[in-house]
Amino acid sequence: MLSAQLAFGQRPCNGRFSGRVLDEQGEVLIGAALLLDPSGSGSVTDVEGKFEFTQICPGLYHVTVQYLGYQEQVFEIMLNGRVEKEITLQPNVETLREVVVKEEVAHLENAQNYTVLSGEKLAETAGKSLGEFLKEVSGVNTIQAGPGIFKPVIHGVHSQRVLILNHGIRQEGQQWGAEHAPEIDPFIASNIVVVKDASSIKYGTDALGGVVIVNPADLPEQPGLGGSVSMIGQSNGRSGTVSAMLEGGLNGHEGWGWRVQGTGKRSGDFHAPDYSLTNTGIKELNFSGAAGYHNGPKGFEVFFSHFRTELGILKGTAISNLDDLVAATEREPPQSTADFSYDIAEPRQEVSHNLLKLNGHIERETGEWRLQYGFQNNNRKEFDIRRGNLSGIPSIDLQLNTHTIEAEWESTPDQANSFCIGINGMYQDNNNIFGTQRIPFIPNYNNFSGGVFGVTKLVKAHWVYDFGARYDYRYYAVTGFDFKNARYSETLKFQNVSFTAGATTQLNNSQSLAINVSSSWRPPHVAELYSVGTHQSAAAIEYGLLLNDSTNEVLNINDVSFKIERALKAVSTYRYQKNNLAIELSGYANYIFNYIYLKPTGITQNIRGTYPYFRYTQTDALFLGIDITADWNLSKQWKLSPKASLIRASDERNNDLLVFIPSNRYELAWRFEEPNQLPVKRFFGELKVKYVARQGRAPRTITARQIKDASEAGVNLFENDTRIFDFKDAPADYTLVNGSIGFSLDRDKTRYDFRLSAENLFNQSYREYTNRFRYYADDLGRNFMISVKCIF
Amino acid sequence: MYFLKFKKMKTLKGTTKYFQLTFSIVLMAGVISLTSCSEDDPMKEDVPELITKATLTFTPVGGGTPITVSATDPDGEGVQDIQVDGAINLAANTTYALTLGLINELAETSSPEYNIADEVEEEGDEHMFFYSWTGDVFSDPAGNGNIDNRADAVNYEDEDDNGFPLGLTTTWTTAANGSGTFRVVLKHQPDLKSATSDANTGETDLDIEFEVNLN
Repeated sequence: MLSAQLAFGQRPCNGRFSGRVLDEQGEVLIGAALLLDPSGSGSVTDVEGKFEFTQICPGLYHVTVQYLGYQEQVFEIMLNGRVEKEITLQPNVETLREVVVKEEVAHLENAQNYTVLSGEKLAETAGKSLGEFLKEVSGVNTIQAGPGIFKPVIHGVHSQRVLILNHGIRQEGQQWGAEHAPEIDPFIASNIVVVKDASSIKYGTDALGGVVIVNPADLPEQPGLGGSVSMIGQSNGRSGTVSAMLEGGLNGHEGWGWRVQGTGKRSGDFHAPDYSLTNTGIKELNFSGAAGYHNGPKGFEVFFSHFRTELGILKGTAISNLDDLVAATEREPPQSTADFSYDIAEPRQEVSHNLLKLNGHIERETGEWRLQYGFQNNNRKEFDIRRGNLSGIPSIDLQLNTHTIEAEWESTPDQANSFCIGINGMYQDNNNIFGTQRIPFIPNYNNFSGGVFGVTKLVKAHWVYDFGARYDYRYYAVTGFDFKNARYSETLKFQNVSFTAGATTQLNNSQSLAINVSSSWRPPHVAELYSVGTHQSAAAIEYGLLLNDSTNEVLNINDVSFKIERALKAVSTYRYQKNNLAIELSGYANYIFNYIYLKPTGITQNIRGTYPYFRYTQTDALFLGIDITADWNLSKQWKLSPKASLIRASDERNNDLLVFIPSNRYELAWRFEEPNQLPVKRFFGELKVKYVARQGRAPRTITARQIKDASEAGVNLFENDTRIFDFKDAPADYTLVNGSIGFSLDRDKTRYDFRLSAENLFNQSYREYTNRFRYYADDLGRNFMISVKCIF
Repeated sequence: MYFLKFKKMKTLKGTTKYFQLTFSIVLMAGVISLTSCSEDDPMKEDVPELITKATLTFTPVGGGTPITVSATDPDGEGVQDIQVDGAINLAANTTYALTLGLINELAETSSPEYNIADEVEEEGDEHMFFYSWTGDVFSDPAGNGNIDNRADAVNYEDEDDNGFPLGLTTTWTTAANGSGTFRVVLKHQPDLKSATSDANTGETDLDIEFEVNLN
């Protein structure tokens, strides 16, 4: 080698070695690592699977190509002048599927700390809601409100601090409530990406914790017809889910493609090991349609989707005042527990979400232009048990319409470097639908927002760098009714900037390191500013930041000490892969200045009794954590996959803790796979043990009974000690065992996938700290799930 | 923003009409969206569930001046506590009929939503009042009331369609002397009210407490 280089040593070093890395099906692999020996330089494939080495001295080189989940490839190559090569990697069937990017992932931008769920992983959780499904990702948890409502939590933060991008459009629903789940049917996705750094700066404010990206499959461009049907049955809840998809092109019109898709779901009462969870049924009906034209450098698409769900809320959580809360938290099983039923009665929710999207793009020699318009219509009705025949009338009835328009230009002067600038605007109109016969919990508002951004990716030596900056402006015009039912109107303006910077390098042929640092902000949500009253199953009164402490009057924002919430987050991911071992280790620190949260502030009385009340307050919060995933191939067929998510959160300003932070959790999966050697195809069996530790860093406990006793004795527990508290101690640690087996049958052009799985195999009674219903009832008991998917 | 990336880059030549078409549609949609935004003018809701004032009227059965006390909520869901009148001053060794008035002062007096007590009476089969007291102020009923134990004595003078007590009207005979507290709780018990349902069943619509003195 050395001699070879010496021999050519006198020639100019202006060679170029470039190409693409593909998988066995010809799909590009993004982020594959290449190492050139003896030059020692490295490269990472971009979103089109392309790599490039420049200024290469002529000579004989060893090239090592690595990609997590694929077999390492080493080959020798003589480089002299310009050399191009396509490299195909063979899958390492035994390795971690979670991080295998089998298809091109859209919207990833320059993110380096992310997890992609697609193919097999999506199939494994088919039939579950989006939030529940995301729990599979290390570092992601959920805030849950019973068996049907899951909100994703990325690195300890959720709701307004997690951006959800559905088909490229910012999901705009009523995300302010902990019992408000994202309005997306996971069946529309061909891959779902969780970005754990705030690098997705293109999509606007709010990504303080991370971004969830729901991507559809590309539309067909060739004539022909294809599709799939999935049927899933689950024993717990006696639920059935059917989802079907049909897609095709147009004969004689190459480039045109279409897809229609629909999902129906019906579930009755779920059950805990010892009793039924009465009134937790679900009804869901979703459908979508897409059509588009693509021809080389240009294309456009139209997409429409409709999501509709009706969810029952556990009847035993219907509580009014502190005495009711005392009774509900000390009672088991919950009040009103009855035999299994499919009925959904009050308290319940009806939520629908419609999305219409138009987008187009054109590639010019100078760069690519893209344009997109989105319209979202979100409707949320919450029905409570009410007096005076009002139960049929929603106590919250909101309609939120959102228009977004976006344009961007991306220039890729060479394969490695890129530059993109863009502008986006949003108009939003939130209205309370008249007739609830309640003072609205949040006011009506109009929201005008606009932003500009620039992002760039640069490749220098062994490093890939990315930088981004954006500016955002938001204007709110708010009209609502205060506690006296008197009308108020306010206007608010917010503006600020966000930054991100990242770098990735290949340390050697088995290790890589990615680092991202970002500073992002979010305008406050109207709910955080103006909320007044109680809402579903909260048993507490909530007040917004802009309400006067003693008179409840709405204040002007300039008269309070409000400051913009801003996060400074650093994430670093280390990846190791050699032989039969793959490890991914990610560490993060997220310091959120002026973190807005609900703080217990006191107790108040009305005619119905005594209530604890919470006020939106600001503090400084710090989230630290580590996510680890690994794959260890014991043999060609057997594999062990350990996983761990550790998190530690604190209130830095008050030297206190935060509530509802996910506890540390560990998982070990033991999997057997035999894709080809058996009479059936793609056979697998898997046993998974999950251990969830008790949250040892939970705030102090003040039970409802203690508050009640103190209140009766004339003592205000919160007068001199305003530390945060929880109504119950953190529940005990628990271990769950899940198992599944599955296989495929190939018949002509049709493939059938069969799968049988069991969750909570030993019917363990447990309560999860981040499930708000842990105050009232146990979590779910054993569940058997059978699913059949037919792909044609 | 979602845009398809292309696996195969074809020629850059060709017309731009598809792009122009999309551009026009998007632009039009944007213009429509911006011109369709209207000034918000929300209508004020009636709030029939809100009880802002509860009145207790003790009428001597043998005749005499009724004694009235009330609890008033100055700010609904606001942070201020309710305001409770001074002590209920009852004559010793006297029998009283107690009637309850529940009013929503935010509603018009002519509105059916003004008088909540009427509504509670109509929905008697899902409501029940519970009472408790301290200081042995009553000789009949004896004891301390039925909030801690449903089976304890309270003299209900009304009942719902199923024959279960309601409690909008009750009778009370005072003891010879004493003083203490008097608490009234109204529970909403849809599908839950029974012969054994108690003060922990259902949701609370009313929970107020007064001082009581015998003269």
